Amino acid sequence: MPKVPGLIKGLGVTLSTMLRTAKEGSHTIQYPHVKEAPPIRARGVIALHEGNCTSCMLCARSCPDWCIFIEGHKELAPPRRAGGAPRKVNKLDRFDIDYALCMYCGICVEVCPFDALFWSPEYEYSEPKIADLLHDKRKLGEWMETVPEAPELDAGADKKGKK
Amino acid sequence: MTMLGDRQQLAYIASQAADARVNVELETEGMTLNIGPQHPATHGTLRIICRLDGEQVVWAEPSCGYMHRGYEKLTEVRTFPQVTALVNRIDWLGSFANEVPFILAAEKLMGIEAPPRAQVIRTILFELSRIANVGLFLGDLGVQLGAVTPVFLAFRDREYVLNLIESATGGRFHPNFDRIGGLKDDLPAGWIEETRAVMKKLQGFCDQMEDLLFGNEIFLARTKGIGIIPRDVAMQYGLSGANLRASGIDHDLRRDTSLPMAWNKADWKVWTHTDGDAFARCWVRLQETRESCKIVEQLLDVIPSGPIMTKVPKIIKVPEGEAWVATENPLGEMGYYVVSKGDLGPFRVKIRSASFNNMSVTPWLLKGVYVPDVITILASLYFILGDLDR
Repeated sequence: MPKVPGLIKGLGVTLSTMLRTAKEGSHTIQYPHVKEAPPIRARGVIALHEGNCTSCMLCARSCPDWCIFIEGHKELAPPRRAGGAPRKVNKLDRFDIDYALCMYCGICVEVCPFDALFWSPEYEYSEPKIADLLHDKRKLGEWMETVPEAPELDAGADKKGKK
Repeated sequence: MTMLGDRQQLAYIASQAADARVNVELETEGMTLNIGPQHPATHGTLRIICRLDGEQVVWAEPSCGYMHRGYEKLTEVRTFPQVTALVNRIDWLGSFANEVPFILAAEKLMGIEAPPRAQVIRTILFELSRIANVGLFLGDLGVQLGAVTPVFLAFRDREYVLNLIESATGGRFHPNFDRIGGLKDDLPAGWIEETRAVMKKLQGFCDQMEDLLFGNEIFLARTKGIGIIPRDVAMQYGLSGANLRASGIDHDLRRDTSLPMAWNKADWKVWTHTDGDAFARCWVRLQETRESCKIVEQLLDVIPSGPIMTKVPKIIKVPEGEAWVATENPLGEMGYYVVSKGDLGPFRVKIRSASFNNMSVTPWLLKGVYVPDVITILASLYFILGDLDR
């Protein structure tokens, strides 16, 4: 077989790609008009379920770049049974994540012993001002709506070990 | 010392002659050309100072450190689980491969081993990151030599691999998926079939690259016989990875060391080339991408079922001791020397990254070459700036 010159071959690639794009559409999407659906596990933004948080500070301490800020105080709540002593509950005053610092490693979500933090694949929260990337607990709570169900695991996975 | 090929012998003599060459006929004033720190042909910030005589480089030195982030020091103030999130950023194109040697070193100190399922999945992700890394190299190589099409093809097909990594680990570039004693999570359902389909596409990509780029006359003319590293020089400068194998040295840590990984479960080949020139380095990388596809395809069939984590304490304290583990990363040999004093974090970590040693050959290699070939040689050496400066 005679060797096809590189120039012809290159033009052939261009032509075939052009025809394929015309027929099947391109590989890229026009972002602001069309949105990409990230995988379920994608680490987009961290959501906070405030009711579960006991302000134990585990996430803030295990964060590699210390971007979680927690403040809390103890409050007395009415006893569960009548006549019992009043309970002490932890009240969360402040729970901020600075997304300008966050490196999306997921360690905080992993160490949380009370399932208060979740990953959401949402990614559209860029801000013109860097200070606005500090999400407070109200904003973090709003992300809870976007948290998807965990994906089904592979057939060979050890399902007993998972909670 | 084994026999050198004729080509290598000639090239070696020629480079020695260029070394000793004195331009007596035409006494020209030398000129210093700075390539970088910001230059389209460097993948980051690297400055190469070249002293020129006409069109010929007579002296060259890389000046690195523009992207130094001090990882060795940063690891000392972090706990073991936090370090994996950091070391992802060293070689950012094949980031999962950066975690593995560190985790293996920590596991070695603790005397534990990941369960077989985790080992196989680790190896698959390791090879996927190699495909993502070296696949981009093949495209990038074209664009540095003036061919634009390969880079589009490479970015398109790398996206498939990155999507796989993202759907399994959650991070496209920084997976942070490896844990001491296993993996963070199991594979999602359907991932294995997806990976099989993508590996078919990637092998098609390799075939296309071989036909389109490696068969191109201009590419051949610009890479054959350029930047020859003879066998002995490659060993003296401590090159590793494809740069070493392209000089004819059959050395691959995946095959030569017995790490608790699953490479020995697959049937694959270590490719070498005898020429040692820019073409050989690129060609070896192309073949390696193919072999990685084969490894992944074979390992997908043998993933055992079972747990993915061994029993490790919730708060990880690594016992006192020192461990060195190196693996064959996309760029070459990458190793971590971890010293632990029994605390939550390492006492000292020495990171051996491949690019730094591969870069060290450039003053020798760039002597006597012409200016356009400088870019070819730098592209074929394939360094990543994050890996170079750490």
